[in-house]
Amino acid sequence: MERDTKRNGALNLCALLLAGVAGYAVARYANSLAGQVGMVFVGVGMLVAAVSWFQMRLEDRERLERLEFDELTKGKGASALFESKDAEAFPAQRSREQFERFFVPVFTVFLLLIQGGAAWFFHRLLSQVALDTRVTQATMALSLFAVFALILFILGKFSATMARMGEFRLLRPGASYVLLGAYLCFAITMGIVGVAAGFPKADFYLAYGLCVLLGLVAVETVISLVLEIYRPRIKGKVGRPLYESRLVGLLGQPEGLITTAAQALDYQFGFKVSDTWFYRFFEKALGWLVLLQAVILLLSTCLVVIDAGEQGLLERFGKPVAGNTLLEPGAHLKMPWPIDRVYRYRTEQIQSFTVGSTPDPSKEKERLVLWTVSHTKEENFLVASRDQGYGTTNRAGGKRTPPVSLLVVSIPVQYQITNLVAWAYNNEDADSLLQDIATREVVRFLAGADLGDLMTSGRLEASQTLLERIQEGAEVRKMGAKVISVGLQDLHPPVKVAPDFEKVIGALQTKQAKILAAKADDIKTNALAEAFAFAMVNSSEAERVARELEALSQASLFQNQVPAFQAAPSVYAQRAFLQTFARATAGARKYVLLTTNTHDVLTFDLQEKIRADLYDLTVPAPKK
Amino acid sequence: MKRNPLTIGIGILLIIIFALWLCVFQVRQSEVAVVTTFGKVTRSITEPGAYLKAPWPIQSDHHLDQRVQNFEESKFTEGLTKDGFNLLTSVYVGWRITDPKAFFPKYAVSATPMVEAERGLERLLGNAKTAVIGRHPLGAFISAADGGNQFVEIEKQILEAIKTELKANNYGLDIDFLGFKRLGLPESVTQNVFERMTSERQLLINRSQFEGEAEALKIRSEADRKAAEQLSAAEAKAREIRGKGEAEAAKSLSVFQQNPELANFIFRLEALESSLKDRSTLVFDQSTPPFDLFRGASTNLLRK
Repeated sequence: MERDTKRNGALNLCALLLAGVAGYAVARYANSLAGQVGMVFVGVGMLVAAVSWFQMRLEDRERLERLEFDELTKGKGASALFESKDAEAFPAQRSREQFERFFVPVFTVFLLLIQGGAAWFFHRLLSQVALDTRVTQATMALSLFAVFALILFILGKFSATMARMGEFRLLRPGASYVLLGAYLCFAITMGIVGVAAGFPKADFYLAYGLCVLLGLVAVETVISLVLEIYRPRIKGKVGRPLYESRLVGLLGQPEGLITTAAQALDYQFGFKVSDTWFYRFFEKALGWLVLLQAVILLLSTCLVVIDAGEQGLLERFGKPVAGNTLLEPGAHLKMPWPIDRVYRYRTEQIQSFTVGSTPDPSKEKERLVLWTVSHTKEENFLVASRDQGYGTTNRAGGKRTPPVSLLVVSIPVQYQITNLVAWAYNNEDADSLLQDIATREVVRFLAGADLGDLMTSGRLEASQTLLERIQEGAEVRKMGAKVISVGLQDLHPPVKVAPDFEKVIGALQTKQAKILAAKADDIKTNALAEAFAFAMVNSSEAERVARELEALSQASLFQNQVPAFQAAPSVYAQRAFLQTFARATAGARKYVLLTTNTHDVLTFDLQEKIRADLYDLTVPAPKK
Repeated sequence: MKRNPLTIGIGILLIIIFALWLCVFQVRQSEVAVVTTFGKVTRSITEPGAYLKAPWPIQSDHHLDQRVQNFEESKFTEGLTKDGFNLLTSVYVGWRITDPKAFFPKYAVSATPMVEAERGLERLLGNAKTAVIGRHPLGAFISAADGGNQFVEIEKQILEAIKTELKANNYGLDIDFLGFKRLGLPESVTQNVFERMTSERQLLINRSQFEGEAEALKIRSEADRKAAEQLSAAEAKAREIRGKGEAEAAKSLSVFQQNPELANFIFRLEALESSLKDRSTLVFDQSTPPFDLFRGASTNLLRK
């Protein structure tokens, strides 16, 4: 039995050593962070198993020494007057005591440094790596860690059972680490399964959890070291190894928790729950139940349900199943994972993307969309313009270079997957490829279109042309997609130059206004001219009539004046003169010179004088 | 300890399953696998299905996507066209692995061989693209002329240039297609284009403005001309009418021939009366009748 325990201890040591080294190598190779952290536990366990195995050997030597001494004293009797009980008579005992007094605390401190240092190192490392760091070689890592878990579990269970016997207590630290190693390998396996199943962060989170656990174990070691100083040493009572972790023991043998829980239940309910048939059955059959659960889980992968709007691709050992590759919506039976696998795609859903500018989410609620106000994250596209004689002359042979304009476009493209096999197997990222094809067609089209035509009458035709070209591109690439619509919904010059486009419309309106004003003036001028002409003609007519009548009247008067004159010529003449003189000078200012001295020069002030009352006017002072 | 045969059997079964797991691998329809023996490439598998291999670390299987990979240049690069224009271009490429045995050793060092391969392709692409762009003027890229632009030909040339390079160095991959995804201009040139667009619009604005003014001027001058013609015609007619009146009036002049001196005297009197209608100041001496009365003329007459 003693040989068995030492052999068991050595076996634990070797198992931990091999599992630790191999496990770490696999974890590094497969890029599994949880695996690397987990193997630190196994490495620490290996050291603990080594020290406990050595301590077992020392205790074994001490026991043999005691047996030999007892044999010697029994045979010789108490012949000596003074029996020597020096420690030098028991070198093995002394070695064991010194080992426990000096080496074990130092080793425990060393363990603490390793645990704390590793926890800190991995904490730093995990804070720098990406959350979804890819695990490569998943199948290989999965398999190896599962094997390690199985082997360590079997060994650990055996050692833990033996360690329950008091004299084999030194097997317990190693056994706890072996069992913990088994459970950790199982957890790492689950982490890799999680990554492979589409949860890329599973491995990272597991690694972080193990790092925290490592830190807790280090803290527990510190507490143990401190409490060891104050622990009372009772003669005859065997102490617990300082390097043995209670936390590791609890995690390595979780059935202890179940026992504690059962005792709590017994206490709470007032009767022995742990003696009921259900509890006993559960205690015995736990392993089988877990296995059964795993089998049911595996068998559940035989049923797959494809949702409405989806299709599934069925692969058997990676190869599409002939005659049953496409799974329509509904329930389907298949071989269990990993023989058959189903990959789902949304095929009936109309998918869309936008070429060009994407709408600015902060401005989606605005109801008015103007060219002069930015409403998208603008992306400028080059557009040609028909050469109107304004292009620059290039350096190569004097050929005229057409002018280039910029345009902001937002072109939503809608498509649907029509052939899932082509969509999934011909191109690695068919979504992205279709977007690239669409963008290329838009760029090509705009680079060959005229800006003016495009923004006015050519929109509908452009939309149809783009749809045909994108569809053609998808068919050439055998994408298995159908382009449903291409819309030129937002097509305008960049915001910076948009106001100038609006000014052109304003200028056209101004031109029309000027022409209309001129026409109004035309009407006015012609109407007035016609009126003036009419008035002029009428006036001349009036003058003519007046002139004729005047002439006739004068002639008629003269006919009567002639006889009067002939009757008294001088009198008639004088009378006529004086009558005319009196009438004519009635309103004139007259000065009559009644003087005989006609040599004097007289000056007449004929100036108009200002009215006298105007001299009394005062000019008011200017207001400040 | 009593050995439960069922437990042992299940344990053995589990070990067999895990061992199979180590020795069997699957290749999907979309994948190609490379098997290495102690790091050396020994086998490549392009057909889907399940295959056997020795467990790690003796043999390892590496899976690569054999579908067409699509990637776009990470940078929007500037090049010079034949006629000296700076043009920014970005190209997307579709490539796939054609020879896994040749491909794997070149890129297996990286944890992401596909990404590494795309980086290498991007370098080749940059060289080929710059060279081809430099052989074409800007009009080959952007032209509204009837012939359109030459996108397809230029893309073909870039593709041929890269294919030649790939074939010569046996990269184990090939490019299926290539296309221009974006065209652009440097920021400074973009500003110049904005200015040109603004000037173009200004040209249209000025054209509209001055066409309107010219048209308005024409309309007004036409209106003035017609008005002047009308007025001239009316004036001529008025003169003609007045002339007729004069002619009629002249017919009565013969009456005055009966006594021309009397007629002239009467006309002189009428002229005198007409000229003194406005405000006038007259200075007479004693000899002007009737003021000659102040000289006693009337009294002299009465004495007689």
